Amino acid sequence: MTLPTPARRSLLLGLAAATLAASLPASAQAPYPIRPITLVVPFAAGGSTDVVGRLVAQKMSDVLGQQVVVENVVGAGGNVGAARVAKAEPDGYSILMGTVATHALNPLMLKRKPYDPVTDFAPISLLAVIPNVLVVNPKLPANSVKELIALLKASPEKYNYASSGLGTPLHLSGELFKSMAGVSMQHIPYRGSGPALNDVVAGQVPIQFDNLPSASEFIKAGSLRGLAVTTKERAPSFPDIPTVAEAGLPGYETYTWNALFAPPRTPRPIIDALNAAAIKALADPTVIERMKAFSATVVSSTPEQLADHVKAEIVKWTPVVKEAGVQIE
Amino acid sequence: MTDLLANLGLGFSVALSLQNLGLCFLGCLVGTLIGVLPGVGPIATIAMLLPITFGLDPVGALIMLAGIYYGAQYGGSTTAILVNIPGEATSVVTTLDGHQMARQGRAGIALGIAAMGSFFAGTVATLLIAALGAPLTGLAMVFGPAEYFALMVMGLVFAVVLARGSVLKAVAMILVGVLLASVGTDLETGQERMTFGLSFLSDGVDFSVLAMGLFGVAEILRNLDQTETRDVVRQQIGRLLPSRADLKQAAPSVLRGTAIGSILGILPGNGAVLGPFASYAIEKRIARDPSRFGRGAIEGVAGPESANNAGSQTSFIPLLTLGIPPNAVMALMVGAMTIHGIIPGPGVMTKNPNLFWGMIASMWIGNLMLLIINLPLVGLWVRLLKVPYRLMFPAILMFCSIGIYSINSLPTDVMLIAFFGLLGYGLIKLGFEPAPMLLGFVLGRLMEEYLRRSLTLSRGDPMVFFERPVTAVLLVISVVMLVAALTPALRKSRDEVFTEA
Repeated sequence: MTLPTPARRSLLLGLAAATLAASLPASAQAPYPIRPITLVVPFAAGGSTDVVGRLVAQKMSDVLGQQVVVENVVGAGGNVGAARVAKAEPDGYSILMGTVATHALNPLMLKRKPYDPVTDFAPISLLAVIPNVLVVNPKLPANSVKELIALLKASPEKYNYASSGLGTPLHLSGELFKSMAGVSMQHIPYRGSGPALNDVVAGQVPIQFDNLPSASEFIKAGSLRGLAVTTKERAPSFPDIPTVAEAGLPGYETYTWNALFAPPRTPRPIIDALNAAAIKALADPTVIERMKAFSATVVSSTPEQLADHVKAEIVKWTPVVKEAGVQIE
Repeated sequence: MTDLLANLGLGFSVALSLQNLGLCFLGCLVGTLIGVLPGVGPIATIAMLLPITFGLDPVGALIMLAGIYYGAQYGGSTTAILVNIPGEATSVVTTLDGHQMARQGRAGIALGIAAMGSFFAGTVATLLIAALGAPLTGLAMVFGPAEYFALMVMGLVFAVVLARGSVLKAVAMILVGVLLASVGTDLETGQERMTFGLSFLSDGVDFSVLAMGLFGVAEILRNLDQTETRDVVRQQIGRLLPSRADLKQAAPSVLRGTAIGSILGILPGNGAVLGPFASYAIEKRIARDPSRFGRGAIEGVAGPESANNAGSQTSFIPLLTLGIPPNAVMALMVGAMTIHGIIPGPGVMTKNPNLFWGMIASMWIGNLMLLIINLPLVGLWVRLLKVPYRLMFPAILMFCSIGIYSINSLPTDVMLIAFFGLLGYGLIKLGFEPAPMLLGFVLGRLMEEYLRRSLTLSRGDPMVFFERPVTAVLLVISVVMLVAALTPALRKSRDEVFTEA
């Protein structure tokens, strides 16, 4: 995992403050921002990307002294919004809330590529990491990942698993699980997490890969059994749930991440100002607390670290997408 | 029972605080206004207003956002009645008789009965949520993909009844609607269907685009055929509020509509869209003189409007008790709760009783406020009909364009309403009704999704639709209705039921 650990994060904060100080003379020359900034969220209002975006946008507005307005540009699994920012004026007034979907998975699956995730964006900063979770209906006779794998091996092709849609990080988490564990189960795609959760709670489909935030209350209420989280380390909000890696599939790791991107060729002083504002917003106690309640972990980075992160994610997902055989027009 | 009273007491103590009353009023007012403006829907409005609620406490914020939602449902029927544009799927049927009433100079009565029916339905639905919210979620759990598929099939059979002209034409329109619904990226395979390589079609056609084009733009084009003669509306605005006789005629429809809407609203798989036209179909079926429907029958407004409002209230049940959003607006409410630090799920009721019961109490207060806001406004809305066409049409077109753009920020959506406007005009000229097409469109997409999901789950075995009792019953009802309509012996009476001219 290329993400900074908490200890490194505080170091980064210091570094970022230094960068901010260094960029101050530049921003004195050309004042930025002088008008509201549009933050394009390429997913529907109300989803987890939107929630992270709005929490950060609100705090960034305070820091920058200009409103950061969230605009939901929905379509084609996030590509419409991402493509819009890729082609926007590089003036710092339209930025993108990118995710693992827009910057790693979609470009790998699409036959027609509307943008290049590496060259068509100027990275600003990572914002948050959201764990995924493997949940099952409580009636399923599997209390651990090992038992689930044994169950799936005993009756291949019998079981189904639900996800929020074809080609989403959750679907591919399931496919990665299947290939690493050497099991088979049928994927059932839904339009978003909500309807999928409904069918898993009701027992229509026994297994689901979901975002931890949307499944968390069901796990707490006992209407779903959380078998494992997909991150390298356990989620702070659920210390009792093991990771998939420690529960039987060493090396397994997936998660959803959110990060800010600007159009390519955005001037460095503007990138630095946005990076500093994002880092400051992420250090705000209410933002940290809200994100934690939401099972998301705040993670900031330098633009360079984000650029490396995107490349590493593309390398990591390429074989999974190939093996799953997911192709979207 | 004492629990219920204590809970409601808690709810009202929260909802009746000065701040929350104010927020509830504000939400209802904003909701009514955006509901009346064609195209500007509650999703865009709530998304835009979310940041304003950051400074409020979560209960107040959600009370306001909920107010916008049901206020918009309310306002939407005003537009459906006055200018024949359904803002969303649930007000399509209101255009059928509501707009006819307006043309006959009975717009005030149509608006009045819609307001009163909605208030009654809202009251019943609120009580239902308070008393049975938690046990009712069991119903949601019984409904799997196969059950929803059967429900949608029944809905399509109902859709035939909506037709005013020939049955053949109505069926054709339904099928065209189903076809249009299949445009876009396939949910299960990721293949694009009928997009002709146009990227703006890859997410399919938006309901609002289709509705606004087929109804709004087409209606304007049709009116431009004739020189402006609206003597009826001009000369006599008529009564503004329903008479005692009107109320008596509408009351049973309101009761039936409330019951149908409440039940369908509880289903998290978007069952609420069926409410209004299930109600319409039933009213038309049991009416002594079905030929009045489509010509301004008051039952055709009272029943569906009550069903609509009851459904929009009870659709809070899956959200509040399960944390599962049944539609896009509710999904947005989930986001709003999360931003305010409340993670929706089965625990909300016990962990945040203030929020849960406060919202329920505020729903009833909100319904009362809507009645108070809307009844005095009836006169004003009706007077809008006297605005000359040369001012009204450009204004409607402008609002439609702005509204449609605000949904997805896509310029191509604006062009699509022009396209569907021309298509709608052509269809009207050829005697095809747009309403069945719109319903085919709404139900077709859901039906396909549920059908394929059931079959994937059963590994392709169609027996899944007959083994499950609820599915089997719903499908048998549909078949019986279809057979009844097709049996030659009944043909004559069917023609009387279905045909107007």
